[in-house]
Amino acid sequence: MKILLMGHPNVGKSAFFNRLTGARAIESNYPGTTVDYTKGWMRLEGENVEVIDVPGTFSLEAKDKAEEVAVKMLEENREAIIICIIDASKIERGLYLALQIIEKGYPVVIALNMWDVAKDKNIEIDIKKLENILGVPIVPTIAIGGEGIKEVVSRIKEASAVKIEKIIERTDK
Amino acid sequence: MEKKLSEMSYQEEGAVKEIEENLKGKVAGMGIRVGKKVKMQTKQPIKGPVVVKVDEANTSLGLDVADKIVVEIEK
Repeated sequence: MKILLMGHPNVGKSAFFNRLTGARAIESNYPGTTVDYTKGWMRLEGENVEVIDVPGTFSLEAKDKAEEVAVKMLEENREAIIICIIDASKIERGLYLALQIIEKGYPVVIALNMWDVAKDKNIEIDIKKLENILGVPIVPTIAIGGEGIKEVVSRIKEASAVKIEKIIERTDK
Repeated sequence: MEKKLSEMSYQEEGAVKEIEENLKGKVAGMGIRVGKKVKMQTKQPIKGPVVVKVDEANTSLGLDVADKIVVEIEK
């Protein structure tokens, strides 16, 4: 089994990766830090699982080198589970990417990272409601502080492919 | 009043009215779609990028991209 970490540039994928694997991918405050990818391993229910830190991408229509790498990696790993990391303070555009990945038929877990930043900006997110609509596990996280990482890991097994039509149906209600 | 996004002045606000067809997918991932409220935050000199606020978050766009987006100015 493989896990791909995907998300926009500068949402904390590498910080998240380090927390999962104990590795030391370079974190910096510049978007687009990860052009090449980093690979690592984590334990999941007694099994060694490969984790890949994918370069940040805004959408699945690649428009630069790093995004091309991201899209290609997604396509080459049809069996992978995707942890989609979203900046909770910029949730809408993050969900756009998450929906594109879901639409391609991948099982997804969403991590709403930078939960503390969103709180500071007085952004309230109804996680239960969002979970009901999307049908995928959603967990608030603060990757830098390590908060919520364990919950993401424990919910990976709940991830399954969701039909986009079902999501549209539930949005209309 | 209509304006190109690239022509908006500092702190001006408006709603996105039109996006050039082949650009739609490209900027949607950055939170810019028809109907979205945008506010001009910064314009960089010498044909530099513009920074607009969408959904309480800043996003920067190249001037060539901003040229192809039409905004209905509100204030």
